[in-house]
Amino acid sequence: MTSIDVHELTKDYGGTRAVDHLTFQVRPGRVTGFLGPNGAGKSTTMRLLLGLDRPTSGTAKIGGQSYAALPEPLRHVGALLDPQAAHAARTARDHLLALAVSNGLGASRVEEVLEETGLGPVGGRRIRTFSLGMRQRLGIAAALLGDPAVVMLDEPSNGLDPEGIIWIRELMRRLAREGRTVLVSSHLMNETSSFADHLIVLGQGRLLADLPMRVFLESRSQPRARVRTTEPARLGELLAREGYRAAPGEDGRWMVEDVRAEEIGAMAAREGIPIVELMDEHTTLEQAYLDLTAEATEFASAGRQEV
Amino acid sequence: MPGTAVLHSEWIKIRSVRSVFGSLAAVLLVTMAITVLTAATVGQAEADDADAELLFGAFYALNFGQIAAISFGATAVSTEYANGALRMSLTAVPDRTRFFAAKVSLIGAAGLAVGIVTSFGAFLVGQLFMGEYAIGLGAPGALRAAFGGGVYLALMALFAAGLTFLLRSAVAVLSVLIPFILIVSFVVGDVAGSAADYLPDRAGQLILHQHAEGSLGPWSGLAVTAAWAAAALLAGWWALKRRDA
Repeated sequence: MTSIDVHELTKDYGGTRAVDHLTFQVRPGRVTGFLGPNGAGKSTTMRLLLGLDRPTSGTAKIGGQSYAALPEPLRHVGALLDPQAAHAARTARDHLLALAVSNGLGASRVEEVLEETGLGPVGGRRIRTFSLGMRQRLGIAAALLGDPAVVMLDEPSNGLDPEGIIWIRELMRRLAREGRTVLVSSHLMNETSSFADHLIVLGQGRLLADLPMRVFLESRSQPRARVRTTEPARLGELLAREGYRAAPGEDGRWMVEDVRAEEIGAMAAREGIPIVELMDEHTTLEQAYLDLTAEATEFASAGRQEV
Repeated sequence: MPGTAVLHSEWIKIRSVRSVFGSLAAVLLVTMAITVLTAATVGQAEADDADAELLFGAFYALNFGQIAAISFGATAVSTEYANGALRMSLTAVPDRTRFFAAKVSLIGAAGLAVGIVTSFGAFLVGQLFMGEYAIGLGAPGALRAAFGGGVYLALMALFAAGLTFLLRSAVAVLSVLIPFILIVSFVVGDVAGSAADYLPDRAGQLILHQHAEGSLGPWSGLAVTAAWAAAALLAGWWALKRRDA
């Protein structure tokens, strides 16, 4: 009932297509990482979901309804879009109170979220005196006001100190454990891998991947090995003969694809090639993500050339 | 119709930003201060002039109070356009017509309440200094003028509010309206019986005169100002509905 459903969603700004026939679903009970480079369309998709921007075509629904149709929306959906989106001359407490009251929530709920986000002692201060990290916490406090079943956070760890980053990570995991639908955007893969169960990856407004984090990691990590020898020419010949893809490096090094270090070691021993260094290289998550988004960029620019 | 919850929320927004609440308070404070200042110093001397209109003169300070009213209407709306605060507001109240109606109702109600107090206050306090020239609320047209002056202030606040929804900036609205009211309207306005009679401030201020001259009467003049405000609000509502937030 509380999933997010995006169907064939498209948004043009002037001549620029920010979101391009996007279709995906976000399910409750897990943290879904919403990934993509800056400008991939993550924030636009969130704004479309919240009815702030109008889609050019397609639909964006929450629990089967458009956001604007929800009578007291903060009780269903909590969103952090832009931590600056609050009038700087208001106190944190008044800012939250104005939001709460409009959705039939009381002042006691404001105090609760101020405490929960660690802003209790500064609730009476004007927002202009807040650091980016404190504004980020205030935005999260606003998102939690209505105890919503769906939570959408756009780059929540921006500006947070390391302690804050751990706090937000734990918060998101807890929200998902409680059975809520949690969608969290980020442009940082390694950060996202620390909290997300599921991934939706965008590139240039299009869906590149929609799969469990584990599957993404496995599908994207390929074994490769790094080896250094005193006789690079002989090793190169051997690798070519055995059908490996390998690239020479400086100082007698080779980078060999789709192979484990022990295979190279055994092979070199058979041939009597002296090895001075040998190790497995793991594709990092960061690399996997960059590969994926780079492919999309290449694909997109190739497509444009054809036109 | 906006629910009371949304109205309450809008009231919190007005009272919690100093520049907005300050402008509202300034409508009363500025008008009273200038009334006392002018009435106590030049009031009787001016009234001695054969051409003097005692009733209109009693509301002289509304010229300054209206600047505060315009600032109130403009800043109450422009706070939504600072730092993208509007996005937060619309996630809380996604029905834009409901949001607009609540904000405009609050601006109108607060403007009217403060406007009526200001207008009656200026009249009654000002007359204390007028000695033999003093008139009371029983004088012809006085009650109508005092009431109408309050309505006029509320309408100017709403006019500014509508324009601010359209232009999304109090600075833009104030830099159009204030020079307009201070300069254009004064200069052009002396050519009586022209189209200038239909300018929002000229038309509305007819309610402050004992006898309205020209094509508009006191109430029809105020209605012209109301039409200006309604047009500005309609344009603002349309812009809010149509634009991406």
